Amino acid sequence: MKRLRALILGLACLAATPAAAADKLTVLLDWAVNPDHAPLILAKTQGYFAARGLEVELIAPSDPNDPPKLVAAGQADLAVTYQPQLVLLVDQGLPLKRVATLIDTPLNCLAVLADGPVKSIADLKGRKIGYSVAGFEDALLNTMLATAGLTNADVQLVNVNFALATSLAAGQVDAVIGAYRNFEIPEMALLGKPARIFPVEDHGVPSYDELIIAAGADKADDPRIARFVAALEDGARYTINHPDEAWAAFIAAYPELNDELNRQAWALTLPRFAASPAALDPGRFTRAASFLHQAGLIAKVSPPQTYAAFPK
Amino acid sequence: MTKLLAALAAFAVLIGLWQAIILLTDVPFFILPSPLAVAETLWRQRDLLLAHGATTLIEIAAGLLLGTLLGIATAVLLASTTRLRRLVLPLVIASQAIPVFAVAPLLVMWLGYGMASKIAMACVIIFFPVTVALADGIARLEPGLADLARVMTGGVQRPGGRWRLLRHLYGPAALPALGSGLRIAAAVAPIGAVVGEWVGSAGGLGWLMLHANARAKIDLMFAALIVLAALALLLYLGVDRLMRRATPWAQSSDPATLTDS
Repeated sequence: MKRLRALILGLACLAATPAAAADKLTVLLDWAVNPDHAPLILAKTQGYFAARGLEVELIAPSDPNDPPKLVAAGQADLAVTYQPQLVLLVDQGLPLKRVATLIDTPLNCLAVLADGPVKSIADLKGRKIGYSVAGFEDALLNTMLATAGLTNADVQLVNVNFALATSLAAGQVDAVIGAYRNFEIPEMALLGKPARIFPVEDHGVPSYDELIIAAGADKADDPRIARFVAALEDGARYTINHPDEAWAAFIAAYPELNDELNRQAWALTLPRFAASPAALDPGRFTRAASFLHQAGLIAKVSPPQTYAAFPK
Repeated sequence: MTKLLAALAAFAVLIGLWQAIILLTDVPFFILPSPLAVAETLWRQRDLLLAHGATTLIEIAAGLLLGTLLGIATAVLLASTTRLRRLVLPLVIASQAIPVFAVAPLLVMWLGYGMASKIAMACVIIFFPVTVALADGIARLEPGLADLARVMTGGVQRPGGRWRLLRHLYGPAALPALGSGLRIAAAVAPIGAVVGEWVGSAGGLGWLMLHANARAKIDLMFAALIVLAALALLLYLGVDRLMRRATPWAQSSDPATLTDS
């Protein structure tokens, strides 16, 4: 009944001439649109944003590091970013606060070729490891290597930028860090080079939220954002409860994503969506900050409210 | 000397403008850091900047050398026979039509993440200006001079005649044109190297910029940018001076030359 009402409301909003007084919000994604963004996209296609008087625009960046900076500078309302990255940026003095979570487990992993010589973390000694710059990959790696008594000095790090799967498949590097287990891993299998993965949180890294949504620190209490997060929850709920219909709506909105890779990634991503995007675990921020502090990437560990707006 | 002063004044005005923008617009530091913050970072991180600057400089210099040799060889080929020109010229033009950004990932895939792919990028980007400038220079030689040379020396039939023509006539006549090509090459070669580093690398100024950007150390990003600009400028001035020394008979008409003759 509620959904029907939301739908009618949404349709009414769509039908109304230029969405009468809908509040505009711009959301910068972390990457090109992919199944990770399903709750956002479904909140849009199913009219949950419209039902709350919001007109939301989703924009993919050219560089995953730009969105939080643009939000801090007031060029956009919200940015999708990574929990450790947000801590790092806040430590650098960027006025940002986390307002919601999109994916509440790490997706990041260290990947090697399944039939390659690396069977354990210890086998990485002396090998070439590719990464895609997110600011904290060497901290992840250092922690993972430490579980096998190695350090970053025992390996050679290469920035491969966007070519995580291809550089590993082509044999240009022996391992990559920064690959997402729900996307690059099926991608590797489809390239005919199945991968073996080492999830970061299984190898010494404290669990964190892979994808969160950040707003400018001064706008975190804006009522529009509370409405946005509520609509996002509806989007997550719909995606989790009706995965097939959600997939159909997803590829109707982005026909270019209707391929085998995205279909597989969709199934792998479903269990990872935060069912309660507003929910906040302050301890996670403290642990992420301690982790970055130990790696020497941030100057000090601040209390959680420095990094996150506490939900009302 | 006056030119040097003028250049310094231009820089001073630029830095003044930069500071004025910050004072007037209140732009946040992570979008545009202050000149002072950047200067401080330049000094504090000098070891890091020097190490990565050296990597990039080696890539640029090697690319410049290889690209120039390749360009000269191609230009001589183009000039020597009409049949070859028909074959090679479309390839030269095509090399220019390919956007460097598009081939960068491929070059990295083929040549790996080391220096080779960056040198190849610099090569690709400078090959065209060098080839075209030199081929032009050779083609523009006054026909009368060539005839005269042939008559006076017995032409190319004599042993080594072709080489002597090249050495005493075509070479000196075409060197100034090659100089213009090289000046352009020196100005664009850094672009090739840095694009290569962005696509994938373990060091260099391009690598450092990406890294600084991800950690919101924008002052370091600007510092790397300044070092890169300084490298490019020094390289340009070096090539410019070298070409003037090599071609004392040529009246430079290049408006972009900065050094006093």
